[in-house]
Amino acid sequence: MANTFLLSRFVSARNAGLLAWLHGWARVLHFAGEVLAAALSPSLYNRVTRTATARQIYFTAWQILPAFTLFTAALAALLVRITVTVAAAFGLSDEALGLIVRVLVLELVPLAAVLVVALRSGSAIVTEIAMMRVSDELEALRRSGVDPLRFELIPRVLATALSVIALIAVNCAAALAIAYLGVYGFTLWGFAPFTHVVGQVFDLQVAAGFALKCLLFGLAVAVIPISEGLATPQRADAVPLAVLQGMMKLFLAIAVLEVGLLIAKYI
Amino acid sequence: MRWLDSDAERRAQLEAHRDDALVSAALPLRANLSVLENIALVPQVLLNLDEAAAVREALELLARAGCEASAHRRDAELGHEERFVAKVLRAAVGRPARIVIERPGLMLPDTHYPPFVDSVLAVLADRLAEVLIMDYSWNRKLYPPQ
Repeated sequence: MANTFLLSRFVSARNAGLLAWLHGWARVLHFAGEVLAAALSPSLYNRVTRTATARQIYFTAWQILPAFTLFTAALAALLVRITVTVAAAFGLSDEALGLIVRVLVLELVPLAAVLVVALRSGSAIVTEIAMMRVSDELEALRRSGVDPLRFELIPRVLATALSVIALIAVNCAAALAIAYLGVYGFTLWGFAPFTHVVGQVFDLQVAAGFALKCLLFGLAVAVIPISEGLATPQRADAVPLAVLQGMMKLFLAIAVLEVGLLIAKYI
Repeated sequence: MRWLDSDAERRAQLEAHRDDALVSAALPLRANLSVLENIALVPQVLLNLDEAAAVREALELLARAGCEASAHRRDAELGHEERFVAKVLRAAVGRPARIVIERPGLMLPDTHYPPFVDSVLAVLADRLAEVLIMDYSWNRKLYPPQ
């Protein structure tokens, strides 16, 4: 009898946890829908929103661009060197460049970019929004006639998503340049075979999948921290928990997207 | 002036004035914006002013209230009076139909606040349509006789 009672309590506790977890994800999706709907409204793109978006892009992408590009260049140089050496040892030198592009450009650089933005800006955004919620700054804005969704939240979403996509694009270009130098050296004669291999890798399906991945990564990093920050209970002690939950949810989303898209592509 | 006898009455009054611009201890300035940015933001959104014009207007209001020195400081760096003035200016700059100031004593704990509030409102008289001050009835003796 006692065991049955304990089991039923355990099951209801698990159910409550599962429901809360599902509710959290439903909230994220609802906020994403709200943002997408607002983003399609031309009235959103006024001077204030543009300025706030540009400021957020500066903090999210521009400030980390040199350091992140340096990191990508070092990683790319190392991986190109390893791949070229190993491929030569196995007599597969012709396949080295294709392998480099598939691993480095299609997978590692986007993943590194989204992780860097998630760690640096995602955590800052969820903390800031949670603090704003706790201190009632969002309500203060609303009472002054400033819609917080339009001024504070949507510019952050747009800017963070654009920043992730821009960082991926710039660093993929840098990685491709380093791959070229690693395989062909400082000459121009390899340009035609190089573009041929890159073109073969980036067929229509792969290019569409890559664009979708960049977009989904950008939206995940933009939407999840803000949605979690907005759901913070209005108590100061709830902020650390909100940051923890927001970051865990974000990493889970990134992992699911990465693995899901790999499965869709290769299996 | 609206005299309140209880917290429940205060909440009911706030609900009744939910669409009015509110100056309250419960509604802080945006912590990561300066006073100037907090004030200038409102006309940019509500009146579609460009940033330079909104900043000029905010500076002019701050100068009128004698608080130019606090223009580039953020909330945490402000004294009570500077913060109160910033909140009043943020509410007034959008030219709302009515401004409600609730429990001014809570925002100005170290000041004999009725004359101070009056002096701030006096310098902004041409910018304010209607101002409603809500305070508890037991603070009535702090105010000059009507």
